[in-house]
Amino acid sequence: MNQRPNEIKIEKHGDIILLDIRGDVTAFSEPSLNSAYNSAKESSPKKILLKFEETAYINSGGIAVLIQVLAQTRRNNQRIGITGLSDHFKKVFNMVGITKFATIYPSQQDALSAMAATA
Amino acid sequence: MLDDQTVELNLPSRIGYERIAIGGLAAFAKSVGFSSSRVEDLKTSVAEACINAMQHGNKGKPDARVLVAISFQENTLRISVFDEGQGLKAQPKDPDIERIIENLDPPVGFGVFLMKRLMDRVEFDRTSNHLHEVRMMMKLKG
Repeated sequence: MNQRPNEIKIEKHGDIILLDIRGDVTAFSEPSLNSAYNSAKESSPKKILLKFEETAYINSGGIAVLIQVLAQTRRNNQRIGITGLSDHFKKVFNMVGITKFATIYPSQQDALSAMAATA
Repeated sequence: MLDDQTVELNLPSRIGYERIAIGGLAAFAKSVGFSSSRVEDLKTSVAEACINAMQHGNKGKPDARVLVAISFQENTLRISVFDEGQGLKAQPKDPDIERIIENLDPPVGFGVFLMKRLMDRVEFDRTSNHLHEVRMMMKLKG
């Protein structure tokens, strides 16, 4: 069973770059996520918001890809927000420790407001 | 020997087919009364067990299979995932995200970690049929 490539829209909201990630997040997402992050990085943003689909299937391969992106954002001193997660994946992201490096917001609007208010 | 409380799924050993297993599992678990949040815990745990079976147990062998058996008895859902490998030499240590972020550890070990955190019980075993088995259990509460 092949996974369809992720479609990732990149939007600028003030000083925040939003990566709107469509589709499931697995090891197969690595090229599209890295490519989107590299495109976003070109404008040297200090804040990046990752938005997932609430119905997305996320597995350990996808978590590993995401953590590698978080490692890059840490090296580049970027603040990371995450939104669009189901309650289950909020719990999973907290269990694996992603919340030590990224803040989870209940909605895109909440994330943009809160992140815009931070330095 | 299968009984009328047991469902078996026989999957190709290819990443992606774990979704067939978790679709069947979700329908089964809902039908016996598990809540939506517990069904999500089951789906993640069984998906990870299947992925480990495909990647590490069967090591990508194209003709190997992954067998998933699901049963509900005595208020307990039991799921076994079988592969044709030798099993774990040692339990993987829990992933340390801080070391992974600093590139000191590889980003691995999340599957077993999540299975152990989300299920009531997880066991790893060799069977008499020379298969490796991961047994998981979740009690229906209330």
